[in-house]
Amino acid sequence: MTLSLFRFLLRYRQTALGPLWLLIGPALFIALLGSLYAQIGSTTSAQFVPFLAIGLITWNLLSGFTTQAATVFQRDRASLLQGDMTLGRIAMIDVNTNILMFLHQALIIAAVFLIYRVPLGPYALVSLLGLAIVIINGVWVTMLLGILGARFRDLSEILQAIMRIAFLATPIIWMPGEDGRGGVMGHFLAFNPFYHFLEIVRAPLLGTAIAPSTWAVVLVLSACNCLASWFVTRRYGRYVPLWI
Amino acid sequence: MTAELRTPRDRDAREKPLIEAREISLHVPLVKPGERNLLASPGRLIRDLYLSRSTRVNATLIDGISFSLARGERLGLIGSNGAGKSTLLRVLAGIYQPSSGTLAVQGSAKGLFDISLGMRAEATGLENIYLRGLQMGLGLKRIRTLIPAVMAFSELGEDIEKQLNTYSSGMRLRLAIAISTMVEPDILLLDEWIGAGDAAFNEKVRKRMMELVETSRGLVLATHNTALMKSLCTHGMVLDKGRTTFLGPVDEALKFYAERTAEGEPGLRKP
Repeated sequence: MTLSLFRFLLRYRQTALGPLWLLIGPALFIALLGSLYAQIGSTTSAQFVPFLAIGLITWNLLSGFTTQAATVFQRDRASLLQGDMTLGRIAMIDVNTNILMFLHQALIIAAVFLIYRVPLGPYALVSLLGLAIVIINGVWVTMLLGILGARFRDLSEILQAIMRIAFLATPIIWMPGEDGRGGVMGHFLAFNPFYHFLEIVRAPLLGTAIAPSTWAVVLVLSACNCLASWFVTRRYGRYVPLWI
Repeated sequence: MTAELRTPRDRDAREKPLIEAREISLHVPLVKPGERNLLASPGRLIRDLYLSRSTRVNATLIDGISFSLARGERLGLIGSNGAGKSTLLRVLAGIYQPSSGTLAVQGSAKGLFDISLGMRAEATGLENIYLRGLQMGLGLKRIRTLIPAVMAFSELGEDIEKQLNTYSSGMRLRLAIAISTMVEPDILLLDEWIGAGDAAFNEKVRKRMMELVETSRGLVLATHNTALMKSLCTHGMVLDKGRTTFLGPVDEALKFYAERTAEGEPGLRKP
């Protein structure tokens, strides 16, 4: 954990504002897009801006796990080949760095909630459970994609391309409609894993219900992720130092 | 110090050897650059996952090596380029896992491989000490106690607060050596002797390395330098294409190696 923090701070070494950049980017995005959409859309900014803030920042965590994972072992090639760190430790440090970035950016969510005085009940705590599920999946996915990415270098590019599309296909900068079925996008939503993982973090904070199907998808995907990750780590983990 | 290197079978039961390797092998599926490309060979992934053993070509890097290293023994590995010396060291360090055979290592086996790898150019010298220390799994307190020694050794003085990309290559190397040698492992794995540019510092490095060798309980050294091996090691192993061709006292091993090289036998790659 100390190492993650150390690396996190080092990344912003030569910038004047340091890790504040992590806040400025999303904050500008939310402020501009929030006010724009509130004018053209059917929703009020009090509804849309908190939705956008949680969505965007949770998305950063999800896409951070996915896109970083494919290169996680290549980036730490030196410590792997010097025998300093094991695969598991390298993956955990990457996951920790992503969590640190998320916690840092979560300040924006807090600020937005204060500004719009979003009411929070006990139900909002379910969001923490959702976050825990997301993070556990992040660990598994980092091992899984990390090992596959060490073998197939194209994976990193593929994932980046997918995540860019997924950002638009997931209700972050648009709302799925009052009935929650997403209108024309409804069918896509059901098959969009990111939507379901996003929903278990976002919905409790906004006080909207989580569909039982979402829980089912999340649990099934988590189980698959865990099994695949366990299998790939056991079977191919030992080849990673040779591949990178 | 024991007089002879024992084979795993007749080792004495009183003390566990530091390293005990039985028939360890390392087979690696050969990956050509093109095959790494998922788009160029989509079938490859499927075959890798389901039919792995049937289609892939395996390269044998280490082939059935057995030896045991008791406390105080120092083993030198010698052989031509590509004989598997460095690979064997990495197997002993636990970086590569052997495909078959058993390997038991008592205590921490740490190597000094590619010492300047992994230094961060955007971090200061001091931060690099912390980074590497944390990577090695040391606590912050432990690192703090090690820092004076590292600073004294690297002779960087005030410059330790500067970013690494302002360092000269000599300064960088000094820091890299200082950091890499800050912890003393139980079993020292050396891939060639470490040397530095200027003569004065080189002497210091030599002293530090000798200190490391003396304090470690066992040493495995891979080298091409026969004189060095003779002065440091008690035992020698001659490697060829991942196989042990000779294992015994260092003098005999070196003699054997010299003869083999001179003869230029077909079984031995020319150095």
